[in-house]
Amino acid sequence: MSNPDATGPVTGAQSDEQVAQSLYAKAEKIYPRQVHGLFARLRVMGVLGLLGIYYILPWLRWDGQQALLLDLPARKFHIFFVTLWPQDFFYLAVLLIIAGLTLFFVTALAGRVWCGYACPQTVWTEAFLWIERKVEGDRMKQQKLDALPLNVRKFRIKATKHFLWLAFAAWTGFTFVGYFTPIIELGQRLLTFQLGPWETFWVIFYGFATYGNAGFMREQVCKYMCPYARFQSAMFDKDTLIVSYIPVRGEPRGSRKRSDDPVKKGLGDCIDCTLCVQVCPTGIDIRDGLQYECIACSACIDACDDVMDKMGYEKGLIKYTTEHAMKGGKTHILRPRIVVYAVILMAIFAAFSWSFSQRISLGLDVIRDRNTLYRETADGLIENVYILKILNMDASAHDYNLQVSGIPGMSLHKDMAVIHVEAGGVLELPVRLRADEADLEVRSSHVVFELVATDDAALVAREDAKFLGPH
Amino acid sequence: MADVQVPKQQKCIAILWPSFLVAIVATGLFFSAFDPDDLYPFGEPTEISRMGVYSIGFLSFWLVSAVSGIGTLYFAMTNCMRNLPEPRDQ
Repeated sequence: MSNPDATGPVTGAQSDEQVAQSLYAKAEKIYPRQVHGLFARLRVMGVLGLLGIYYILPWLRWDGQQALLLDLPARKFHIFFVTLWPQDFFYLAVLLIIAGLTLFFVTALAGRVWCGYACPQTVWTEAFLWIERKVEGDRMKQQKLDALPLNVRKFRIKATKHFLWLAFAAWTGFTFVGYFTPIIELGQRLLTFQLGPWETFWVIFYGFATYGNAGFMREQVCKYMCPYARFQSAMFDKDTLIVSYIPVRGEPRGSRKRSDDPVKKGLGDCIDCTLCVQVCPTGIDIRDGLQYECIACSACIDACDDVMDKMGYEKGLIKYTTEHAMKGGKTHILRPRIVVYAVILMAIFAAFSWSFSQRISLGLDVIRDRNTLYRETADGLIENVYILKILNMDASAHDYNLQVSGIPGMSLHKDMAVIHVEAGGVLELPVRLRADEADLEVRSSHVVFELVATDDAALVAREDAKFLGPH
Repeated sequence: MADVQVPKQQKCIAILWPSFLVAIVATGLFFSAFDPDDLYPFGEPTEISRMGVYSIGFLSFWLVSAVSGIGTLYFAMTNCMRNLPEPRDQ
């Protein structure tokens, strides 16, 4: 690795640090204060729902097997009633594109709701914060504890927290691997200390990623690492839902007694209690306007509404609004951007659904025997040997008829009377083709294998092959 | 912009994180096209499980794209950054 200090600019440690601070402020730990309110409840519901899905989903069964299993060792993805094979990678790619476009659409319409309620970073950070609060106490207690020098009590509390975090993270890592390898067997191997080296590696890798991201990195992932955070503003326009402070109502801000009349004191509605700053998980002041760091979690809305209630003012000094609405205009939900996103999304989804419904769940590969080009049989015919790889990607077993065409008078010989392949099974079938030398016009003739299910004429697979002869 | 100096930690993230994302995509594309059991690296069949081959594949892709990231970062330094005098001992 290059050593930047040797060739790069070095302007002395002090100014170096200053520049670093202006570019990437030295991360100070943020202690988000707990909030209660409508949006906090919504987020808790979102967090519980999504965590529940994540931890429970791999344990669900469907037709006697794991309902959602991206079985990497067997190279098959089981998604409830669908089984995807490596050949179906295309569908997964299109699904990802659909998910991406949905995110664009939602962003244009409702801003960063993904960030505030559904992003795994938010969800696991929320869970880790909850553990932290249960062990260390509220924001004030956490700050006091961190300011103390290390003593027995502090060590005990910190050790408890990290133990719980690590246990939760390990369970998360185990569940993650359970999506890729059958989770029940994985659990049995874990309990008997028989986990494979790579399974162990990935449980620990993902566990540590969770522990680091949700326990320590937190909002810095959103600020520095998240690609979506960088480009989401491209989807924004003046009608996108944003979390905003209403400066015309709040300013000039200032503290006051409850009994004071703000009009007489020449004050706006903001009492400058800084609760909106204290609850912010990314540590910004929403009153400075819309900022890149804001993940639209609306914790500040809950905090401020509470204060407004206590002061006897109208709620909504910080609220969900749009730039147009803030300027006294009207918010347009139907606008070209939304329509274009929606049309593209629906078109791709329709194409995907149609294409997926037309998917033929039968695969055929023809591999020529590489050792001999051709041989002559006792009765003077030219024989080529092939291995057919038949993939039954359907959910039920089938019998198949095999035909071959391309050379007149050619005969097909196989050892099996009936070609039967189990659901999700692969059959390797050696076959021999025999033709009269007189019927071969060129050295390499073109033949076509055709495989049809006996019970479903729509289940057809064709594959080309070469038939070699002496000419 | 000669005075722009990115902290080391940030450089590490800038190298390791995008290459991690690229490695995921590359691994997915590569192994959906090739079955590890059909691969004969250096002419020999592997005796490693598919899970192992996927993992080694992923880590290799990560390594390769991280190395490329180091190169990008290195060559992104402008000449005026290079031309600055060496620090004097104080």
